[in-house]
Amino acid sequence: MSNIIETEGLSKQYGSVYRVKDVDLSVPEGAIYGFLGPNGAGKSTTLKMILGLAKPTAGEITVFGKRVNSKNRLENLKNVGSLIESPSYYGHLTGAENLRIFQTLRGVPKQNITEVLKIVRLENQQNKKVSQYSLGMKQRLGLASALLGYPKLLILDEPTNGLDPAGIQEMRELIQSLPRKFGMTVVVSSHLLSEIDQLATRVGIIREGELVYQDSLTKLHQYSQQHLAVRTMNNEVTKSFLSQNGVAWEAQDDYLIIPQMKDSMIAEISKVLGQNNIGLVRIEERKKSLEDIFLELTGTAVSL
Amino acid sequence: MSAAIGMEVLKTKGRKIWLVVAVMMAVQLLWAGWAISNKDANDLVQGWMFFLYQFPMLNCIIMPVIAAVVASRLSDVEHKGQTFKLLETIIPAPRIFAAKFIWGSIYMLSAALGQLAIMIGMGFVLHFGGPVPWGALASYLFFTLVVSLTIYAFQQVVSMLVANQMVPMTLGLVGGFIGLFSMFFPQGFQKLILWSYYGVLMQVGMNWDEATRATDFYWTGIDWVGLGLILIFFGLIYGIGRTLFVRREV
Repeated sequence: MSNIIETEGLSKQYGSVYRVKDVDLSVPEGAIYGFLGPNGAGKSTTLKMILGLAKPTAGEITVFGKRVNSKNRLENLKNVGSLIESPSYYGHLTGAENLRIFQTLRGVPKQNITEVLKIVRLENQQNKKVSQYSLGMKQRLGLASALLGYPKLLILDEPTNGLDPAGIQEMRELIQSLPRKFGMTVVVSSHLLSEIDQLATRVGIIREGELVYQDSLTKLHQYSQQHLAVRTMNNEVTKSFLSQNGVAWEAQDDYLIIPQMKDSMIAEISKVLGQNNIGLVRIEERKKSLEDIFLELTGTAVSL
Repeated sequence: MSAAIGMEVLKTKGRKIWLVVAVMMAVQLLWAGWAISNKDANDLVQGWMFFLYQFPMLNCIIMPVIAAVVASRLSDVEHKGQTFKLLETIIPAPRIFAAKFIWGSIYMLSAALGQLAIMIGMGFVLHFGGPVPWGALASYLFFTLVVSLTIYAFQQVVSMLVANQMVPMTLGLVGGFIGLFSMFFPQGFQKLILWSYYGVLMQVGMNWDEATRATDFYWTGIDWVGLGLILIFFGLIYGIGRTLFVRREV
């Protein structure tokens, strides 16, 4: 599968501070790429650089296999729809008039307006002034603007920001339907792990401008595999015993964390500990949550 | 480019920008009527010169206000709706800048034509003396337009770069007043101030006799240096302003 977006050493520096540093993004065709990170981690800056709205300090951006420069930027963006930070709109005009402006400037057929209004379910509110729209409706109008040219790539920066739970659900369903219905590749950024978890097929996690994880969501879930937490009357002796028998361990508070293993093996360990007068007082099954992994990767509290 | 200009027209729907131009023209009409009302038949012999002297002075304040309001009204919709970040992924930033300038210029041109119509209309109605100075009126239109578009370009740059529209509006008003008062200062000083150029390019001079308290108008030559300078100002403001707009990150 080819990559729709590839960045290499992408960096953005303001003064001496790196907002984005050496980011190597790869977004495969047809994927819903979840770009995850805490607020201020550099998600929007990265996406703005891909769209040419911010100039990289260093690095290369390749979109649709073509290296992006100031000359071919707009030509490349003909196949890209975007919604950055918040929806762009003219509040004094109606939804349909807003779309007419962007449709005319994009040079796409007029009938696309009716179609995208249907996709985002705004056809009944199209003649209402956008200033009277709710935030959710404005977000949907923003998505409609991005969809006008039926782009191959859709870049959505925090599309559910400020929406109520029903709005979030609706937006999520809309985004999920796009690759299936129109063969689009979608990059969606968020600071909400739960949102990306429900949406994305591939994930990139950014922390303080650096990409700390990039792979499939399935692999990220593998990090959350089960393990065992053991507490004994003498953890020090237990540590040597486990090491002698080739069992990996990790001390955590009063517990020793060991990998998941067969019941027979656990029974054996328990028996040997008993024979050595080491009382086994706790044995628990534990599972790292996705939040724990996110916390480990980003080093910050999860915005959930 | 025509699509971009067409969309600028659509964006002004319901914004009542023409009302601003109309109100300012009404002010100019009322002022011209009041100024000419106390003139007798002897004064009206110099009626054309009187208007070609008075209108540029009034323009120092009228046109900068129109320029500031129009530029602000055309730009604030983009700031309010954060549309630049979307527009710049669709069309080149220089085209956005040019389309706004062209559409804004239409308002400035209309205001200049409106003034000309007021002058010619009143001249015919009140039977000003001598033949109609078509050449001087055409030059007046040209000079008014050159200065107004330069001021408009300045206002557009500030309005597009600064989200808070109080900044360009204040600059426009302050500039207009400085332009008006600079007419009391030497020509060399006037040429340093953008808003003074309505006066710099004035084609009529005035003698005032302190003893008789009579005024006498006379034709002056065209200030070619002044014209050259304002054209340079225009090029610089448009060029630098457009570069700043294109280079800024949204």
